[in-house]
Amino acid sequence: MLEIKNLKASVDGKDILKGLNISIKPGELHAIMGPNGSGKSTLANVLSGKEGYKISGELKYEGKNLQEIPIEERAQKGIFLAFQYPTEIPGVNTSNFLRTSLNKIRKAKGKKELDALSFIRIIKEKSNELGMDEKMLSRQLNVGFSGGEKKKNEILQMKILEPNLIILDETDSGLDIDALKIVAEGVNSSRSDKKSFLVITHYQRLLNFINPDFVHILSNGKIIKSGSMKLAEDLEKTGYKGIK
Amino acid sequence: MLNFKINSNAIEKIGNFNAKEKEFRLKNLDSFNKNGFPNKKSEDWKFSDLREIVSKNFKKLDLKVVKTDAQKIKFIQEFDHNYIIVTNGELTSSNFKFEEKNKIKVQNYLNNNFINKQENNPLINLNHALSDKGYFLEVEENYKLKKILVIYNLYTNNLNQNILNCKNKIKIGKNSELHILEYTINRSKKNFFNNIYENVVLEQSAIYKNICIYNEKSFGYFHKYSSNKLDTKSSSTFFIFPSGLKFNKLDLEFDLNGENSECNLQAASYLNHDDHQEIKTRINHFAPNCKSFQKVKNVLDSESKGIYQGKIFVKDIAQKTDAYQLSKAILLNDDSEFNSKPELEIYADDVKCSHGSSSGSIDEDSIFYLMSRGLNRQEAIKLLVEGFLSEITNEIKSNSIKNFIIGKLEEQLHEHKKN
Amino acid sequence: MKNQNINYNQDYKYGFTTEIENIKAPKGLSEKTIKFISKIKKEPKWMLDWRLKAFNRLKVSKEPDWQKPKFPKIDYQNLYYYSAPKSMKDKPKSLDEVDPKLIETYNKLGIPLNEQKKLSGIAVDAVFDSVSVATTFKDELTKKGIIFCPISEAIQKHPDLVKKYLGSVIPISDHYFATLNSAVFTDGSFVYIPPNTKCPMELSTYFRINASETGQFERTLIIADKGSYVSYLEGCTAPMRDENQLHAANVELIALDDAEIKYSTVQNWYPGDKNGVGGIYNFVTKRGACRGKNSKISWTQVETGSAITWKYPSCILQGDNSVGEFYSIAITNNHQKADTGTKMIHLGKNTKSKIISKGISAGKADNTYRGLVDIGRKALNSRNYTQCDSLLMGNKCGAHTVPYIKNKNSSSTIEHEATTSKINEEQLFYCNQRGLNQEEAVSLIVNGFCKDVLQQLPMEFAVEAQKLVGISLEGSVG
Repeated sequence: MLEIKNLKASVDGKDILKGLNISIKPGELHAIMGPNGSGKSTLANVLSGKEGYKISGELKYEGKNLQEIPIEERAQKGIFLAFQYPTEIPGVNTSNFLRTSLNKIRKAKGKKELDALSFIRIIKEKSNELGMDEKMLSRQLNVGFSGGEKKKNEILQMKILEPNLIILDETDSGLDIDALKIVAEGVNSSRSDKKSFLVITHYQRLLNFINPDFVHILSNGKIIKSGSMKLAEDLEKTGYKGIK
Repeated sequence: MLNFKINSNAIEKIGNFNAKEKEFRLKNLDSFNKNGFPNKKSEDWKFSDLREIVSKNFKKLDLKVVKTDAQKIKFIQEFDHNYIIVTNGELTSSNFKFEEKNKIKVQNYLNNNFINKQENNPLINLNHALSDKGYFLEVEENYKLKKILVIYNLYTNNLNQNILNCKNKIKIGKNSELHILEYTINRSKKNFFNNIYENVVLEQSAIYKNICIYNEKSFGYFHKYSSNKLDTKSSSTFFIFPSGLKFNKLDLEFDLNGENSECNLQAASYLNHDDHQEIKTRINHFAPNCKSFQKVKNVLDSESKGIYQGKIFVKDIAQKTDAYQLSKAILLNDDSEFNSKPELEIYADDVKCSHGSSSGSIDEDSIFYLMSRGLNRQEAIKLLVEGFLSEITNEIKSNSIKNFIIGKLEEQLHEHKKN
Repeated sequence: MKNQNINYNQDYKYGFTTEIENIKAPKGLSEKTIKFISKIKKEPKWMLDWRLKAFNRLKVSKEPDWQKPKFPKIDYQNLYYYSAPKSMKDKPKSLDEVDPKLIETYNKLGIPLNEQKKLSGIAVDAVFDSVSVATTFKDELTKKGIIFCPISEAIQKHPDLVKKYLGSVIPISDHYFATLNSAVFTDGSFVYIPPNTKCPMELSTYFRINASETGQFERTLIIADKGSYVSYLEGCTAPMRDENQLHAANVELIALDDAEIKYSTVQNWYPGDKNGVGGIYNFVTKRGACRGKNSKISWTQVETGSAITWKYPSCILQGDNSVGEFYSIAITNNHQKADTGTKMIHLGKNTKSKIISKGISAGKADNTYRGLVDIGRKALNSRNYTQCDSLLMGNKCGAHTVPYIKNKNSSSTIEHEATTSKINEEQLFYCNQRGLNQEEAVSLIVNGFCKDVLQQLPMEFAVEAQKLVGISLEGSVG
């Protein structure tokens, strides 16, 4: 599904990713852990196509070179980024936004656009699954949402847009235990042999609930160690300094 | 109605000038005579009809050069400082005992810039035509003054229906730093008009701080135009406490010519009787990555009138501009008035520019709260007014200077109440 | 009709011309022209005298020059002041008698006038150049005592109302273009809502400029009597021509005790082509007087068209407890220029006003908000809240804010806020990541930015306006 080889990325001449390799197959859930400043968010941004990075190396998604594809087409092809800090867009109704987004993605896949009624049915069902207050959907996109609400909204979008490659950028940060469980359930219930996950996180906490297939440790722009869930547990004991 | 046309022989009375300067002065005199004192038809004077104010308060305006004998003043005791004394606009004394020699130049200012730029402010014309004194202050490169410089602006008690035209220039060299306290002492109990033109030049990475305050209530009618030019990485900070005059208009222009330069201006004033005060700022963002900030607070009592006109201009190349402006006014009396015109003119897109302006009565809930704690209404208002203005004074870094300013403001507030 | 030199602009879908035979007034501005207009409209003498009074005033007044957008000198002698389809000369008694070409024009514009197809819930007065073509739902309205008709008809049938209120909010001598309008106005709508009546449907006028070298001088007068309510909509389009055409309208609103008028405009005059050739000069005077206590006037405008827009729909809050509102979206692209805003004059006690202005500037356009809030000495306990936000797209355009704020009593509060920024990159990225392309993302974000204003529009207009916002900005992001 995703093949990254010797990925380098820099911003304003400052190197952030310095030769990163990772390979994700359909159905797998990979976790990337790393301290602050290790390049975690840059990886998420580069994968989704955010501008402003100078990139080299190989970046393949479903066999195609990602670098040539603009942001929205990546999204239409099934790459979903759950933002660490979901952006507030004043005046834009959350549910309208979601419908616009879903229909764009459906259209790209050659599916019929959904009418308002069937959309509302889906959105109601999914938000109930996540235990979300439906009222949130009629509010302005992310405006005045609490940290937890914003993250839940990202997970809701993930469920509705049905992407293939899901990148969670520190979705667990700033969440209390109940919200964390909702996020984890959202991930677990979405798992299938066709979907892949890249979970970026600072802490082991979230991983306890979602059982990653692989755990990688990112430090100074490179993956310095890969392993199973045990690696995350070790890390929790020794801290990042203990991993060398 | 006062007909204020000036005969060209007024220029000859000031001194003998070379042909170039004489032409410059005559041209400006012509412009002034053509327009007279500006009235509210002129956009910049929309809220301050100076023609009407002058006609109402002056029977005549005496152009005669005022004799100024050396006079004793009470020096500020609260903190060490260098000083110069400027009497009725003329440099009369200077003392830089805390500083290295040869780093600071101070002398009588002679204008030598006679480029005929068309000025549309008649008071600048008037100053260009008739200015006869002023000072020039220069700090050499790479020198930071160790102590603040106090400029004692003394106006003598023999001023009566006079009009003064002074021209000053301050230049701060590369990497140098100068802090000034402009302290005005006014001994005249009569009306007089003071028209100042000031030029401030900040070279690369120069730092300029200016605090200005008026010692006591007086009958001065002041207009000051100040042009400030800022080179790369230079910074200029103003704290203005402009109350104390019958009429005061400060017209301050800042050209942010060099990248990463910044200017910060804060003002607080308490006006009463029929005081009329206008602060006008124009910030020109001519280069990228510059910052500007203005905060103006007014408390208006009796029949006073406060005005703030603030314009932020951002040129197309001035990307990453960060400009913020706020004016707030409290009206204590139904006969007082606050007018503002916060203006933005922006041609660059990657900018953060905003302004806010609010005016209204003092918060009744706060008064109620304080009265429920035992203060009477008068005391409650005084406390709230002080609190409102202290937001500005609290920004002054040096404690001794801050306390000195707070003390002076309290005196003003107290004195006003007495009157 | 000469229209060979048109630069076809695909984005402006109302740019077609209707080929129709016209009757025109003699070219140029003169007493003769004014008499011609008055005669063809079969006006009483008092109306002609009123016009001539304005014309005399015009001779001594000057075009204002303080506004930001400068324009080339208008040759007033080279304009037609009246142009009407020949078929309208003897006023058709019913729609069946109206030239089908005219009906077709309005169909094309999405404003069907036919009885069967007419828009539900909206009564339309269709003004074509200098005449009103048809007014729908007249009978239903008449039953309630509501008068909704062309102003030329009102002058004949309701002279007392017209005499009493015409020029009472915008005096003849107000300023150059208002005076010009008073002298040569041709048609427009007249609305009178009787006491304690809620107008059962939206009233709307659709203005169409068709003829070339012709100025349109509409005059609208709306009177809401005690305790009444009316919502009025106005739409405008014009063909694409490479000449600049003048539209100088006067709109007067009068709200008596406890009455409310809601006035909405979607202005989509031809803006000129990408190089700034052609387009309408939209110099409009709109003013409402809240004469009665507890009255309310609310202006909502979406200004996307015109080469130059220059208008300040204002409220004079005379009655105690009266309320004035101004909601505005002004979008300028390419070489368009807009200088628009409002005046809120607080005279009565406990008066309230609210101003929400959203300016969006792209291409090489210039967009200015200019406004006055004046709370008088006697307007105790009054309040104003103003918010002006500007959005810039690219660094070839300008956004300006010029508010004048006057507070003359201590019990009144004025709050003003303004911001200028560019479209937020993070927001664009977020939308892109959810599959929206750049233009869709911009349209979505800008619509969000304008939401506070858009939601003031009646439903039927809001959808149209939202689309217009997106279309107006097409091609503005690289």
